[in-house]
Amino acid sequence: MITKRPLIYWVKSSSIKLQVILLVVIAVNIAARVFPLQMQRKIVNEAIGQKKLNLLFLYCGLYLAAVLIASALKFVINAIQTYLGQETLAKLRKELYAHILTLPLSFFRKASSGMVVSSLVTEVVSAGELVGQAIAVPVNNILTLLAFAGYMFYLNPLLAALSLGIYPIVILVVPRLQRHSNRANKMRVDVTRDLSGKIGETVSGIHEVQGNASYRIENRKYGEFVDRLFKIRIVWNMYKQGIKVLNNLFQSLGPVILFLVGGYLAINGRFDLGALVAFLSAYEKLYDPWKELMDFYQVYQDATTGYQRLMEYFDVEPEHALEPPPDREPYEFEGSIHIQDLSFTVAGGIQLLKQVNLDLKPGEQLALVGFSGSGKSTLAQCIAQLYSYTGGSVLIDGKEVSQLTKRDLAENMGIVAQSPYIFDGSFKENLCYSCEALLEGKAEKEGRLPTLDEMIEVIQQVGLFVDVLRFGLNAVLAANQEAELVTKIIRIRENFQTHFGEELADYVEFFDEKHYLDYSSVAANLTFGSPNRDEFTQERLAENPYFLQFLDEAQLKRPLISLGRELASQFLDILGDLPLDEVFFQESPISVDELDDYKELIERIGHSRIHELTPDDQRLLLRLALRFTPGIHKMATLPEMLRNLILEGRFLFMAKIQQDHPGALAFYRMSDYIHSQTILDNILFGKTTSDHPNAQDRINQSIIHLLIEEDLLEGIVEIGMDFKVGTKGDRLSGGQRQKLAIARVFLKKPPILIMDEATSALDNASQKRIQTLLETKWKGKSTLISVVHRLDTIKGYDKVAVMKAGKILEMGSYQELLAKKGVLYELVHGAKAAA
Amino acid sequence: MNSSMEPKQPLSEYQANLEILMQLPLFAGLPFEPLKVLAYLCKRQTFQPEEIIFHEHEVDANAYYILEGQAELIRETDGEAEYTEFGEGEFIGSMSLFCDMKRLFTLRAKTKVTCLTLSRDKFQKIVERFPEITTKIVQAILMRVHEWEERLLREHALACDDCRKRLGVSLV
Repeated sequence: MITKRPLIYWVKSSSIKLQVILLVVIAVNIAARVFPLQMQRKIVNEAIGQKKLNLLFLYCGLYLAAVLIASALKFVINAIQTYLGQETLAKLRKELYAHILTLPLSFFRKASSGMVVSSLVTEVVSAGELVGQAIAVPVNNILTLLAFAGYMFYLNPLLAALSLGIYPIVILVVPRLQRHSNRANKMRVDVTRDLSGKIGETVSGIHEVQGNASYRIENRKYGEFVDRLFKIRIVWNMYKQGIKVLNNLFQSLGPVILFLVGGYLAINGRFDLGALVAFLSAYEKLYDPWKELMDFYQVYQDATTGYQRLMEYFDVEPEHALEPPPDREPYEFEGSIHIQDLSFTVAGGIQLLKQVNLDLKPGEQLALVGFSGSGKSTLAQCIAQLYSYTGGSVLIDGKEVSQLTKRDLAENMGIVAQSPYIFDGSFKENLCYSCEALLEGKAEKEGRLPTLDEMIEVIQQVGLFVDVLRFGLNAVLAANQEAELVTKIIRIRENFQTHFGEELADYVEFFDEKHYLDYSSVAANLTFGSPNRDEFTQERLAENPYFLQFLDEAQLKRPLISLGRELASQFLDILGDLPLDEVFFQESPISVDELDDYKELIERIGHSRIHELTPDDQRLLLRLALRFTPGIHKMATLPEMLRNLILEGRFLFMAKIQQDHPGALAFYRMSDYIHSQTILDNILFGKTTSDHPNAQDRINQSIIHLLIEEDLLEGIVEIGMDFKVGTKGDRLSGGQRQKLAIARVFLKKPPILIMDEATSALDNASQKRIQTLLETKWKGKSTLISVVHRLDTIKGYDKVAVMKAGKILEMGSYQELLAKKGVLYELVHGAKAAA
Repeated sequence: MNSSMEPKQPLSEYQANLEILMQLPLFAGLPFEPLKVLAYLCKRQTFQPEEIIFHEHEVDANAYYILEGQAELIRETDGEAEYTEFGEGEFIGSMSLFCDMKRLFTLRAKTKVTCLTLSRDKFQKIVERFPEITTKIVQAILMRVHEWEERLLREHALACDDCRKRLGVSLV
């Protein structure tokens, strides 16, 4: 297991070939570094001393060559080191992540997500980098040290012994300081972890923080961690700096001894000047490798401490093997479940389940009912291996659940959790999540993924079909989409107007050249087409000189600026100093991030007349007016006269632009597809005027009717499958998320189904639909264990078990239990009385 | 600043909403600032004859003020027996502004109905900013419950024995 490995394991597991190359390069590099010293001595003694110019050139040339080679090799060494380090880091990250995924759920109840994130993102970094340095740095520097020291002994043993005598003292003192530094570092890791946990907590609970306005509490708690970290980091850095300073001090003491003794010897003629210069250089050169060694020592200590802390934290055994042994395929179960004397005790001796006995034949359906806290969810999760039961046994087809691998279960069981998780990505990816999980990593994956027909069937069953259709209808087709689709949509558009135009007139405002469109913006009313060029997109019209000139000509500029001003002042008057919440901006032409600009503008211009405003201010107001959509932005009205002027302007603009910039815009025509708009808007050839579900239903039904006629229904649904659901599925409603979670399990067709209050977020009709589906399609095919919160859905189950305080009080068919007038009877009638 | 002062300009929907809300007993006595935001966040909706406005057993987080038309209150579980009718000027569902409650009745449009609706989400945003309005609105709701029962006592309840035992809603 990864958490048991010492840091040295990663050094060993890194590429041996590279490590050997590294050593060779280091050896050459050291030679290249000592060589200039010898040259230096020769330059001073032979070339300068004997005044030989040709020798001076030769020696300087060699010196230069050695320096160049040494620099180049240094770069190679660093490159190899970096590669080794990053490679290990990547490996460490992947393996630790894989390990964390397998940890039991109980681990995640105490670990915060922020903590896990900081472990995988930052804490592993120092360990990884250390591995890159682990061989190169010590070998390189120790050899360099030895080489220079040897050279010094070669020059003058006495002087060498004196000046190197300082180092042993350093070696004695530094580790003592380092121990303090390590202790501080350990505390730093722990506090950083708490800090990450705290941040993770606030981010996931931000709605509670804002809802309770508990900013002060959270700031205080967070502040406490930061202050603690602040103190620890100061202590830690002080020790680290102390070590460095001490080291420097000893290092600087050396030359004093050198000058004193070396100078004395030179004056007495027992030591030549060239040798003294070379000696001084050699001593100075000792500084770098020594410093690097000391740095390495610190990095090594910090990394080891951090690494140990990290691995201790995740040192939990996964409870179950992931894959079956290579000599057996995953089991294929029929789905019989036999539970005997099952008990589950958690820390503190609290018994969540006591002596539970239960038998289900393949295909039988069981409802678990009872008050919350009675253990019904716990029982379901024990069967699903999500909790490891502590006593008794759970047998599936005679095999003990605790002995099964995760794979065995995934192949045979589908679980719909109480609050299912939807992943970022497309609807389809989420729908196929369970199926894909079984196929990932296997060959011939393509053929075994669910087909479009299967997917459509299952979303129909759970009641998501219309939702997905709607996603598809709301998609904007890429410009290069197949022509056939476009032609069909145009045909549907025509049929929609002829068949449903009158009936749905209340809900749709059709694009009509001769009428002002209340549900389109002023800009869209003027241009009445979709732009083919960027400068004619609606947002940029207020900056487009050609368009501005047109507004002037059409006598529209001033009235529109005046409208923009009214919109801004009305909006600011209503909202005043309300907090910036998206809700307040849904029906306003001003967006959240523009609010401050307009606030400032309106205050600044006060009662000035329009002609007194600067062109920039005018443009800002004009932009608002161009966005104004009377049907949506209800804080102002469009005066009748301006409305007529705009309508006139539309025709003027059409004539003008066809002459000046033909092709800049595609005018809305019954026969042309509008590429900048959604499929729905294209079919409607207009805008919907109400977002009430009833209105949407009626539009949907008529469109579905037409799509079927054109055999396009599945095509649009397929487009809808690519809908991006957002992080945690936040672009879906609670009900849609739950239906999607049910659908993805149904698609897998497992012999055992576990549903833990799987329909709690659904409305009545959807709940009934799922219940009927379970009773008709799944009965006899899949063994079902369903934790139920609503008693009106349990009549159709083969068995009902009523739980209380971790025990099954009574079990039997619904009729039997009611006839018995026991606990279920009380529950049902109690529920009725309360309703 | 306020354009309603200028002559000839028709009222915007927001201004019209504001005038209506100011007349409502439920919002009577609220300061002007939150009323403006309420008027801004209200929505007009139209229902065709026979269209369901809300369904029995389902959580509906909206309050409605009928601007025009007639709607009937029924219970589908009782074979669609009609209970009462609501018309122009009536306010329905104020409790939904505060908590999730499953509707006990279905409201169905009898003629074409136009109403002003306010959703709890939006209402709660206003409450976040103006917490003091809650007290006034809750008072108005409670007064309404009280008056309701008072009227019931005066007009009907003494007639039937069984009903008498179940009275006392205003004492909750």
